Amino acid sequence: MGLDQIKNLMEVFTAEDPMAFDHPDGDPWADFREIMRIEWKMDFTYKHILGKYSKFFIELANKKFVTTECKNCGKVWGIPRPLCPDCMSITRWKELPGTGTLESYSVSNFVPAFMKVEIPYVLAMVKLDGADTLFTHQLKNYGDSVDAIKMGMKVKVAYTDEKVDHPMLLMHFEPA
Amino acid sequence: MEVLDKQRRVYVLGGGVSKFAAERVDGSMRDWINEAVLEALEDSGTRIEDIEHSTTSYFSDHFDKQLKAGAIFHDNIGMCPKPNVRVEGGGGTGGLAIRNAYAYIKAGLCDSMIIFGSENMGRQVPSDVAQQFIALASDTDWEVQVAGFYIAYYALMMVAHMEKYGTKEEQFALISVKNHRNAMYNPKAHYPMDISVDDVMNSRMITYPYKLLDNCLLSDGAASLIFATEEWAKKHSANWEKKPTIELTGTGCGTDFMRLADRPYPDPGILHFRGKQVGAEMAYKMAGVKDPLKDLDCFEVHDAYTGVELVSYEDLGFCKPGESGKLMEKGVFDIGGELPTNTSGGLIGFGHPVGATGIAQGVEVLRQLRQEAHPKRQVELNAKRGGMDSHGGTGTFCAINIFERRD
Ligand SMILES: [Zn+2]
Repeated sequence: MGLDQIKNLMEVFTAEDPMAFDHPDGDPWADFREIMRIEWKMDFTYKHILGKYSKFFIELANKKFVTTECKNCGKVWGIPRPLCPDCMSITRWKELPGTGTLESYSVSNFVPAFMKVEIPYVLAMVKLDGADTLFTHQLKNYGDSVDAIKMGMKVKVAYTDEKVDHPMLLMHFEPA
Repeated sequence: MEVLDKQRRVYVLGGGVSKFAAERVDGSMRDWINEAVLEALEDSGTRIEDIEHSTTSYFSDHFDKQLKAGAIFHDNIGMCPKPNVRVEGGGGTGGLAIRNAYAYIKAGLCDSMIIFGSENMGRQVPSDVAQQFIALASDTDWEVQVAGFYIAYYALMMVAHMEKYGTKEEQFALISVKNHRNAMYNPKAHYPMDISVDDVMNSRMITYPYKLLDNCLLSDGAASLIFATEEWAKKHSANWEKKPTIELTGTGCGTDFMRLADRPYPDPGILHFRGKQVGAEMAYKMAGVKDPLKDLDCFEVHDAYTGVELVSYEDLGFCKPGESGKLMEKGVFDIGGELPTNTSGGLIGFGHPVGATGIAQGVEVLRQLRQEAHPKRQVELNAKRGGMDSHGGTGTFCAINIFERRD
């Protein structure tokens, strides 16, 4: 028995003094260098509410791009907001044509595995026609090479017919 | 904004940092904080039983799977039943903790405060899970789901900066070379290295223009600072007369929309850190800094990625927009230059245990102003002031603090 009693035991080992350079007279923590590591598994699933933004995602499923317009100051936010932070007025939904201009983009040759995207992966910031602020999403179908992507090029919202893990993935950008 | 009580001043009595490393398997956040606090107490010549208040600085509850961790740090160092408060602002958390000490002491809520910060940066979970945790610090519905992650966000900003001003990849690389080199003279640093621009340019491309060596690493570690009024220090600090007097003379904070996309378009759009400009102006005004390049002797700049440091030079007022790359080439920010930056090694060379980072910047500026730094990284004192810039998100939270030596 002994350590075998611990079902999730991974290892017991002796750690070095990481600040030996600071301790010329010896390790002050010498009594505490025997270290145990155990495995601790946690698994969560959230029942996530998309709240007052939900209509955006519902309309994406209808292949429509909607955002919000402030009825007071007239500002159209690229990413919808129920409350206009510029004037604290409650906004209204407004459909946009889904066309726009590429303001900046980044090409990633390495992405964390959780992202489930193909490499190279292109993240784009787009000034949508009819909006006053930008919108961020992936740029796809730009051709054989990322060299085809140019700052200022015309892009459009495209919709997928495939099943997706999150409603945001119902859309992406493509060259117009 | 006006500081009403000019008689009541806030002094930096001492500081401590633990070793920063990729994975400190010898302990956990609470152990590293103990190390940093012991050093800060010794450095300041104070006793914990005399210190009246503490501030906790850490960012993520996920990495250490411990909510309310501040309560543990606070009781570990014998501060109960005295008051504690936690601050949080992503990568800017440590800078906010320094600012918090100023506010609490200035307001008279206490005469002395210890701040401590740490982060367990996720070597306990697979790298992929750590990346997911960090991604949660951007908007989870609108950015994370489009597979946004921090390098890619910053790259969007840098590509726009390069397009507008002609900033070059090699200029970014110079930041990496400088910060890794400065770290060689900091024994507590995570990533000291003697490298060349070519080494950075040839390292693995992650997201254009960022290569592997343009990024800081996730570090484990902790840092602590002790602040007090003069009256308190005279009574309780054995080192008050022995060490140079360092005052916290300026503190500023600015913010911006969490999502880059929401920032006022086209100016500043995604080109600049608006919150940093606002925070720096506030701090400089309080500290009497008119020309930061001349009125400061050293500056710890938030360099999560090389380009962030370069753009920050512009937003901190060291130069005009678009000029930072050229000044970097001239060596203005190297040790021996006009305004040496990240003498500690910064996030890239020293390390980035998020909640500790801003506090560690303060410890470095304290060491520099007392002329206690390693001779190879010690700056020359002229203005006798040093600054630090702590920054969260893509400039979502920015805290700028100024220390000044009073001889
Ligand atoms: Zn409005």
